[in-house]
Amino acid sequence: MSGAEAREAVFPTRQVLGQMKSKLKGAQTGHDLLKRKSEALTKRFREITRRIDEAKRKMGRVMQIAAFSLAEVTYAVGSGALTYQIQESAKSAKFRVRTKQENVSGVMLPAFEAFQTEGGSDFQLTGLGKGGQQVARCRETYARAVETLVELASLQTAFVILDEVIKVVNRRVNAIEHVIIPRTENTIKYINSELDELDREEFYRLKKVSGKKERDAAAAEVEREAKKSNAQGDFESQMEDEESKDLLADEGEEDVIF
Amino acid sequence: MEGMFYNVNFGFIEGIVRGYRNTLLTGQNYNNLTQCETIDDVKLQLGPAYGDFLSALPPNPSTSALADKTTEKLVSEFRYLQANAVGSLSKFMEYLTYGYMIDNVALLITGTLHERDTRELLERCHPLGTFETMPVLCVATNIEELYNSVLIETPLAPYFKGSLSHHDLDELNIEIIRNTLYKNYLEDFYQWVNNHPDMAGTPTAEVMSEVLEFEADRRSINITLNSFGTELSKAERQKLYPSFGKLYPEGTLMLSRADDLEGVRIVVDMVSDYKSFFDQAGLSQGGGGGVGNMSGGTGQETKSLEDMFYQKEMEISKMAFTHQFTHAVVYAWVKLREQEIRNITWIAECIAQNQKERIGNYISVF
Amino acid sequence: MAQPTAYKDRQFLAVIGDEDSVTGLLLAGVGHVTSPPDAQKNFLVVDQKTETSAIEQAFDLYTSQRKDIAILLINQHIAERIRHRVDAYTQAFPSLLEIPSKDHPYDPEKDSVLKRVRRLAGE
Repeated sequence: MSGAEAREAVFPTRQVLGQMKSKLKGAQTGHDLLKRKSEALTKRFREITRRIDEAKRKMGRVMQIAAFSLAEVTYAVGSGALTYQIQESAKSAKFRVRTKQENVSGVMLPAFEAFQTEGGSDFQLTGLGKGGQQVARCRETYARAVETLVELASLQTAFVILDEVIKVVNRRVNAIEHVIIPRTENTIKYINSELDELDREEFYRLKKVSGKKERDAAAAEVEREAKKSNAQGDFESQMEDEESKDLLADEGEEDVIF
Repeated sequence: MEGMFYNVNFGFIEGIVRGYRNTLLTGQNYNNLTQCETIDDVKLQLGPAYGDFLSALPPNPSTSALADKTTEKLVSEFRYLQANAVGSLSKFMEYLTYGYMIDNVALLITGTLHERDTRELLERCHPLGTFETMPVLCVATNIEELYNSVLIETPLAPYFKGSLSHHDLDELNIEIIRNTLYKNYLEDFYQWVNNHPDMAGTPTAEVMSEVLEFEADRRSINITLNSFGTELSKAERQKLYPSFGKLYPEGTLMLSRADDLEGVRIVVDMVSDYKSFFDQAGLSQGGGGGVGNMSGGTGQETKSLEDMFYQKEMEISKMAFTHQFTHAVVYAWVKLREQEIRNITWIAECIAQNQKERIGNYISVF
Repeated sequence: MAQPTAYKDRQFLAVIGDEDSVTGLLLAGVGHVTSPPDAQKNFLVVDQKTETSAIEQAFDLYTSQRKDIAILLINQHIAERIRHRVDAYTQAFPSLLEIPSKDHPYDPEKDSVLKRVRRLAGE
């Protein structure tokens, strides 16, 4: 990993160590959560890809049937002018879509919903003289086909958006896993080692100081010892006897109170 | 005898038409066509009948290209006949083209309303319905101009007159214009074949009356059925019914009042032919198999009403050939040929789209 | 990620297709022509004569310029003609859908989205 030696530029203090530790903790939690989100999305994504596959096949069939019903119209009307007339008489879309949203793990997936506006079709009188029944039937067949197409389109949009989102999420997961966590860990390691180093230095210094002190103390002791042995030899042993007596007297009293 | 001098003027044309009739595809031909696996096979099978016209097609042509080419043959034969026709037959053939003209004019009006490129429009017009002044139609930029300067010059002018003013053109739905024109055309044609001195009382008048009456009835019934659930009011609907035919006048009056399928059924009960169509199409059980209910477009066993009408039209046309010394054979031949083109297109469509189960839906009378 | 405002107003379908596909879809009622001064249709009929640049132009119009298109339907064989553009298109809105046409049955191998589906499904 790139971050083997990388660490954040911080002063190795105990406060920063605390910060880093909580940051690591946060990163790990975030990583877990994102990982879970990514899994949920991927699950959804797989489901959608499967459904797209199915829907595409279905569309193939539906469109074929629809195309055939148009052939029936041509047969019944017996003239090619009809198609042109239909193209020209199209005015206002009767078949429209509206967009809904669906929330999948915090991602807004739009879903198209087909609806037909009120009012008559632009083509209701098409084929009045002959072929009108075929035209009506063809209209219905195509309306159904378009519904299938709309369904497929919303799956596909979901696919594109999910694809994008999953990429982003995975990028984040990977970034946390492979950059942020190692770097934070490195920083912690670094701070620790620095702190240890300081500790050791301190310890050595203290040791040095205390060694010095001990030496001074020992020297002073020796000096004092020499003085004492010269001046008052028994004084100390007498003091010790008195103290032990006191202690015994205390215990006796307590017993009485109980 | 009315036939005594018929051949002097019209014998040649009649002979040619009877010859053309014999080249129409038979049931056997259709059987072969339905066995085809690809459009190329279809093309091959059509070789004897359509040879020259199909040769220009690329391998595996689209069905619409196939339809165009087969129509081309019809048109060139028709043009040939028209060039040779004289007197009343020439006029008769002009009448035949008026039906197509109406479609073309409707198309051009639509185009003008939307300011389309008119050259493109002309390509889409039915070749049988072209008339000399048609390209001029495209010059018109607005509807009033179109009406005042152009439509008046066309052969269809009498059909516009009296029923449609230029105000109607932009307000009315183009379909209503089309059907009004067609109604006027049918009535005019009917009057003409029954009153023209060359034809009154001849087999021509007899056969053509039957054909036109059938056509009129078919339109009335179709318009009624197709207008259910639309904005077309009953009064407007009644204006579109031709004023002759087996259903006229009681039937059409009743049709104009019909609210649903049941109403139409009561009307057609008066004419046994149409009654049996309704029964066969499954439309007579109180609307059980409603018009729009035949959904999906696959595996439909029963034939639709339209199919029945086409079948009947073909039979009438076939019967027309049993008469001699009549112009009606030309009409019959054109109709039979049109049906043949539709059949070919249908079969090709079924093959191209792999919908073999419905390939037998064509109508063959020979 | 798409902002909510990016698709609130999108309610039309647009079609780039051959004559039959467009006709059928128009019959279903998807056709919309905006009001006259700059009458814009939401469908384009493509035939052999149509220039590829015209298709690209329409593709741009429907995908980037117009903000009221929710779904763009395009015939697969036409998408094939501007394949590089279709493949490069990754926006969520409008959603791009390749549909089969009458003469060209659907081929899942060519679909740009399905290709991505396949790749991501690990094949």
